[in-house]
Amino acid sequence: MSVLDYIWLGVSAVFFGPEMFSIFGVPISLTLVMILIGFLLGISVGATPGLAGPMAMAISLPILISIFGFKTDALLPVMGFLIGVMKGATVGGAVPAILFNTPGTPDAFMTTLDGHPMAKNGQAGKALRIAHFSSASGDTFSDVVLIFCAPFLAVIVEAYLDLPEKTALLILSLAFISSVIGNSVGKGLISTGLGLLAVFVGTGEDFYPRLSFGSQTLAEGFPLVTAMLGVLVLGEVFRGIEKLCVESQTRGKRQTISEMGDQRLHLADVRRLLPHVSRSAVIGTVIGALPGVGSVLAATLGYTINKSRHARRKSPKDLDFGKGAPEGVAATEAANSSVSGANLIPVLSLGIPGNAAAVFLILAAESIGGFNPGPSVFKFTTDQVNQELVIAFGLFTTMFVANALNWTIGGVFMRSMGIMARIPKHILLPVVFLVTLTAVYVQESGMEAMWFAIGFGFLGYFMRRLGMSPLPFVIAFIVGGKLEETARQAFAATGGDALFLLTHPIAFAFMAIACTVVVTSYRSSRRSKA
Amino acid sequence: MRSRSRSNAYIGAGCIVVSLATIFLWVPLDTDTGLVERVRRQLVIGDALAPMVAAGFLLLGGGLLCIVERHSADQRRITRANLRFVLALLGLVIISLALIRWAGPGVVGVYSEVSGSGVGYRELRDDSPWKYIGFFSGGTVLVAGLIGLIERRVSRRGVLVAFLAILIMSAVYDLPFDDLLLPPNGDV
Repeated sequence: MSVLDYIWLGVSAVFFGPEMFSIFGVPISLTLVMILIGFLLGISVGATPGLAGPMAMAISLPILISIFGFKTDALLPVMGFLIGVMKGATVGGAVPAILFNTPGTPDAFMTTLDGHPMAKNGQAGKALRIAHFSSASGDTFSDVVLIFCAPFLAVIVEAYLDLPEKTALLILSLAFISSVIGNSVGKGLISTGLGLLAVFVGTGEDFYPRLSFGSQTLAEGFPLVTAMLGVLVLGEVFRGIEKLCVESQTRGKRQTISEMGDQRLHLADVRRLLPHVSRSAVIGTVIGALPGVGSVLAATLGYTINKSRHARRKSPKDLDFGKGAPEGVAATEAANSSVSGANLIPVLSLGIPGNAAAVFLILAAESIGGFNPGPSVFKFTTDQVNQELVIAFGLFTTMFVANALNWTIGGVFMRSMGIMARIPKHILLPVVFLVTLTAVYVQESGMEAMWFAIGFGFLGYFMRRLGMSPLPFVIAFIVGGKLEETARQAFAATGGDALFLLTHPIAFAFMAIACTVVVTSYRSSRRSKA
Repeated sequence: MRSRSRSNAYIGAGCIVVSLATIFLWVPLDTDTGLVERVRRQLVIGDALAPMVAAGFLLLGGGLLCIVERHSADQRRITRANLRFVLALLGLVIISLALIRWAGPGVVGVYSEVSGSGVGYRELRDDSPWKYIGFFSGGTVLVAGLIGLIERRVSRRGVLVAFLAILIMSAVYDLPFDDLLLPPNGDV
């Protein structure tokens, strides 16, 4: 088996996998249909303020698993669907941001700054076209980088890192995530500590399930789905409901947007926007490749850097950023969309999720089985087929199929989604709450799972209230088991060397970097607050 | 800019207390193996080490908040209004989940007494309308109650929305799949 054989097997698994139906005798694979459905759902969800891609992924997952079952064949349709949602939601978030000055997703906030003024000036159609073009460009660029980087990174990890180094790398990842997310290193470390503590309840190698208070309910530990959906989805829903409770009941009438003049995107426009799109795509991809650093930061950085460049180079008749400049929309949308592909680099090469959407991809892989994201996926075995590698190339293919959909039908569908912003949040959020609880129950078949999810929901709510990001909690919950297992193996392999993290040079270097990251982040956050 | 809020100090102190309680009470009392142990003449990591590391993260984070970030400018805190909201939400959730869990068995119990059939909920949990009683009643109270909490009044529209949402959820989760059970039918 050569590399090309593996790539071909991955592509074939997507295009010639189980058939759903045929058109004029041409079989259409199930995975392709699932990517399409996921992508359209993602745009609709992204265009609905109050909903987000991860919410849709969380709610769909139990349904998808029930439809496709727990077999390896289910991986590509299910993960293709989730990837479609992830990509669609990023595009959809720009719609309400431009039309109604309400970002559909948090990373579309900067889009409102120029997108909505453009809409008010009668250029709504053009703003949406620019957002779509920039988003699709950034996303495609990011996917290309993912496909080239993830396998190489994984091969390097497998070739040069032994168990002590892998343990140190996981600790470094946790230290990095704790330090860079949010404004406080202390709160990041607390969030990580809580996530680790939660995942260690009821687990371990001894017959007695540790930290379970002797309770049978806690003996099995907290199911992954309850922690993910609780902290990420319910926590956000609770905060949203509270916000609606205190908001004034009298809502202002939405402004009517009418279009004037030429709304098309011409080649000259593309040429003018391309430098901004390229810069933002690179920024978003670099940010996205770092675990835990999200698309909001990418959008902010992309916008800020392009803003200062635009201010220096613009002609007098060009509008400034913040006053309806098309370049502002392009800079933001290219940056936030280019995070989505790059975010999968740490997932596929290290098994560490980079953002909430990646968390649900890992959850899907864990629930279905047969694919364990991490460096071992990219073993190019020649004597027998490495099925995980085939799946990995299948996933890359699904990303390109989703991109193709984005370039072809994404723009038209996106522009028709303005209506989604009219769904009242005070009706949407309670329904999302019940749907999430039902999804948890359906997957775990026990009332205690619902209670766990609600408990984690309140934890997520309090974390948000106190300015503590819940993402380190979730990532620590996912990585905690792997960290303990690797440390156990490393300890045994080094003959019980308690200092194995310090006696191996690469492991020591990783630990030193971990300490440096924490100290540097603390100092820079202090400086920025001063 | 220094802040007068003591929120960080309180969170930090709380985390230090929790981490110390974990290290000195919870882990030693609720874990059967130590930090390291000897198994078949080999030294291996015990079950107590990982929770200790987790507690270490809490201790470090709490210490940072207490000592070096205690005067940070952006300190958010939990207000009384937040706690009132949490209590109201929790009350609604408890009532709803109690209905989800017990409404079905309760109605079947009454029906069984009245009709003298002697059947329990367990035998009927696959049959309509019995299997939907808990989910419909508890779900309606939850969704309509939350809409009411936001609108500050229980409205017919809220109940209708709840009813429709539950109808759609039942159609999506329950009707097409034999292996998916709506709450509470996996427990009883």
